[in-house]
Amino acid sequence: MIATVFRLELRRSRSLVGWMALLGVAYAGTMSLFYPRMVESNQALQEWLKVFPKELVAAFGMEAGLTDPGTFFNVYIFSMLWPIMAAIVGILLATRPVAADFDRGFLELSLSTRVSRVRYLLASVAMQVVAMVVLAVLTVATILVVGPLIGYPWDAARFSMAALLLVTSGCAIAAVTLLLAVVTLSRATAGGIVAGALVIMYLLHAVAAIEPSLGDLSYLSVFHYLDPVAAIDTGAVPVQGLAVFAVVAVTCWLASLWAFSRRDLLA
Amino acid sequence: MSNVIETHALTRSYGSRRGVMDVELAVAEGEVFGFLGPNGAGKTTTIRLLAGSIRPTSGWARVLGLDTWSQATIVHREMALLPSDPGYLPELTAGEQLEYLCALRGLPRGAWRRLCERLELDPTVRIGKLSRGNRQKVAVVQVFMGRERLLVMDEPTTGLDPLMQREFLSLLAEARADGRSVFLSSHNLPEVERGCDRVAIIREGRIIDVSPVQALLGEHWRSINLVVDAPVPPGTFDLPNVRVLAAGARDLHLMARGDVNPLIRRIAALEVRDIAITTPDIEDVFMRFYDRSEPEAEPAAGSEAAAEPATAPGPVAEPEPGPEHLAAAGEVTR
Repeated sequence: MIATVFRLELRRSRSLVGWMALLGVAYAGTMSLFYPRMVESNQALQEWLKVFPKELVAAFGMEAGLTDPGTFFNVYIFSMLWPIMAAIVGILLATRPVAADFDRGFLELSLSTRVSRVRYLLASVAMQVVAMVVLAVLTVATILVVGPLIGYPWDAARFSMAALLLVTSGCAIAAVTLLLAVVTLSRATAGGIVAGALVIMYLLHAVAAIEPSLGDLSYLSVFHYLDPVAAIDTGAVPVQGLAVFAVVAVTCWLASLWAFSRRDLLA
Repeated sequence: MSNVIETHALTRSYGSRRGVMDVELAVAEGEVFGFLGPNGAGKTTTIRLLAGSIRPTSGWARVLGLDTWSQATIVHREMALLPSDPGYLPELTAGEQLEYLCALRGLPRGAWRRLCERLELDPTVRIGKLSRGNRQKVAVVQVFMGRERLLVMDEPTTGLDPLMQREFLSLLAEARADGRSVFLSSHNLPEVERGCDRVAIIREGRIIDVSPVQALLGEHWRSINLVVDAPVPPGTFDLPNVRVLAAGARDLHLMARGDVNPLIRRIAALEVRDIAITTPDIEDVFMRFYDRSEPEAEPAAGSEAAAEPATAPGPVAEPEPGPEHLAAAGEVTR
């Protein structure tokens, strides 16, 4: 039963995941091709960055300079493109099987069969994980494939750690959305709360970077933990980020399963 | 004969909104049970409680002896549900949608094909491109395609044309012949009349009458308009269950209830040019139960409500027919 539900989820998700993967590959590839020009223009770039207030440079995490690989890929891909992709895919996939299908009257039909609510939702969770893995792996793999072509054979192990961080962060976003979708049975409410919270967290992260006295605010932001710079530059395992995202994801998924198995299918 | 559905003091409240209160139902194995009520009366809430989609506030509902909420997944092995206005996935074809539901219900692949052919439903068309009626055919196919012992349907013929409604009644009869039980919520009284053994009427969340269908309808007045070639001799329609409302030179308006065979025999003796019979529709039946201004009277003959007045108050007595019945809407057969 769970395989049947998962296959349907896979089918319904392929277009969304496909287009998002294409976006990730195209963007990551383009930015990777752009990296040598960054290095060549390092001196001019440093002069250019001096034009900006230090606070603004700090807010975008560019203090280390854009020729640093970790900073470059973090600024342009991992903390910019990825959160957008993860939010779009996470919100759409996590709200669809519960809230959206409830609205259209499909959920009641599916759950009137032999499949239990827990198994039904587990199939959705599996789809969320698969989608995040596909997107993160393809995005990072593109960087690794383009690297040798531009004369920068990146360390696959270090970028794999970055990919793992992307996967767990995407899963955390999807899991929180799923929990909200189960609780509210409203796609708009669940998606709106998560999207709004991500914007607020981005601002908190920026404010914390600009004003040192408010630095602790960054701990409330997903962007504080979504930082693979050290992993790419030094090979350090991003333990804090992985742990936080994993705990949030697993907790929210378990809470979703618990709540879904007990709640009325009633808005 | 055991009961496939049993409820006791089944209550579901939605805060300030009314749900259902103290619903007592017992549907026997092999029975086709109709469930009538206007919009908002509590039909869909009752069906959701039976399907385990929502939890009772108090009381309980059992299907095949199993609690519908805590043992829902086991109940679903023996129950096929056609919910009110089911939403299929527009990106799938009808066949793909039905195949998916087959898999979830543990049915063999293609279990839906025979019924699609019978209902003239093209399974290769995407759901999103199907008309309202054809989408309802998908719903009918999915509820009948399995071998579950109990079929629960919420207004299954909405949007179906008369030919398909007839086909639906055939499927219902076949299900009954196979010993399957059916719980059928409907607005369509002829459908209930032709397909059901017993019927429950729900008003404002409470069951107000449970009767065999014939007992329910037999108590109700039918309107008969006759056009004849020659004047009718006086006393022709002096029957205890017939009233002559208007008698012209060649046209008559009669009201009849109960056994109509004596009346038909007398009409057959005349030279009839035209006849129109208006059967009672759901509005007529509801009027009996819904007119709060009238004092409550004894339930219909055969009504189970008569045996349990505490849980199912009797209907309001139907008034003698008057001119207002002329305007009653209903199914007209010529």
